Amino acid sequence: MIAAIDVGKLFELVWAAALAGIAVGVCFSLVIIGVVRAEDCRRNRRSGSATAYAALSVVAAIAFLGIAVFGIVVITAK
Amino acid sequence: MGSDVILVIVVVTALAFDFTNGFHDTANAIATSVSTRAMSPRFAVAMSAVLNFAGAFISLKVAATVGSGIVDSAAVTTTVVFAGLIGAIAWNLATWWAGLPSSSSHALIGGLIGSAFAASGPSAINVDGIVETVLVPAAVAPLLAFVVAASTIGVIYRMVGSLRPGPVNRGYRLGQIVSGSMFSLAHGTNDAQKTMGIITLALIAHGNLPANSFDVPVWVIVSSATAIALGTYIGGWRIIRTVGSRIIKMDPAQGFAAQGAGAAVVLTASHLGFPLSTTHVISGGVMGAGAAKRLSAVRWGVAGNIAFAWILTLPAAAIIGAAVYGMCSAFGSGALGPLVVALGLVALLIAVLVRRFAQQRVAAAQ
Repeated sequence: MIAAIDVGKLFELVWAAALAGIAVGVCFSLVIIGVVRAEDCRRNRRSGSATAYAALSVVAAIAFLGIAVFGIVVITAK
Repeated sequence: MGSDVILVIVVVTALAFDFTNGFHDTANAIATSVSTRAMSPRFAVAMSAVLNFAGAFISLKVAATVGSGIVDSAAVTTTVVFAGLIGAIAWNLATWWAGLPSSSSHALIGGLIGSAFAASGPSAINVDGIVETVLVPAAVAPLLAFVVAASTIGVIYRMVGSLRPGPVNRGYRLGQIVSGSMFSLAHGTNDAQKTMGIITLALIAHGNLPANSFDVPVWVIVSSATAIALGTYIGGWRIIRTVGSRIIKMDPAQGFAAQGAGAAVVLTASHLGFPLSTTHVISGGVMGAGAAKRLSAVRWGVAGNIAFAWILTLPAAAIIGAAVYGMCSAFGSGALGPLVVALGLVALLIAVLVRRFAQQRVAAAQ
């Protein structure tokens, strides 16, 4: 019965899923931080910081969408 | 003539199972989104239904693996498949009635194990296959989703804790639309194919399709996709309420963490060839997102009932599957047994619906 359990694959699943889950949360949170902070900075007329936060949110959004596209590739390749 | 009747009964029963699978598992994709008001209930079920329908057309690899490695293929007859399907449908309806999320796939596997056991004895069952395909994933999925969702919400609260809550909540609601869509697509790809696989196996057993290739006919793909999408659109609201608001009262960040972490776990597992139940994953994710904020935020009584239903799924569906096979066998090996059982179950369902309708009318009159 123990032979039926592939421990190596199970361990890979645990760390890869943890990494992917936290990466999803971090990327999307960076999008929100970037958007909210950029808006605050614009209101306070700090255009340099606003641009930097806007850039952060764009990069994080690209990363988040990249993860989503990878997910769709995984689904279609199943 | 008799085998034609059994084939028609199996196809209709398989589509009925697909329908119950859809409405039973709607909660996996939309419960957290509805609970946090990321989407209106009507929009959420419509989106999930469309993506389940689309997902059913994406790949056919899962269809070829239904039941393989768990029951001896020589023991699988159309009557065994029929009895297994009835076991799965009965368990799906019972857990829906109780508002408990449980795995439709495990119910189907349980039903097939029970009916194959009743037909051919213990030699028809592959215990290693059950351990690898059902028991280990059932233990891993909720625990892993719990830990990943708890870690994710911990990181999220640290990152956005100092920001204004209004835009933050709006942001995570938007994120939930993406994670909910991924869940729905993955569900359609995975679960609709199980019905396709069963109908195709029945067509091969009946001689309508060649046994040396596993080509799923277009009408099977379209009907399976339609059945799961219709079931999803009807929505199993009792289970949606349980997952969305009875386990924890969640904010949009928790909903996103549960769903995002859940989608990441399901897709990572899929990528590694380690199929996990979306029901187990989302339930574990919701509990993890709640427990990370405060242990007492999780209603552990509800969580315990859900875990109990998971433990019971395989044996309960197996017992029903075996009993249905026994009833069918009592009428001989022809089509009469499945026909009598199917008609009996339809009559029972109509009686329950009529009684419920009458009770509602009495309640409305009072």
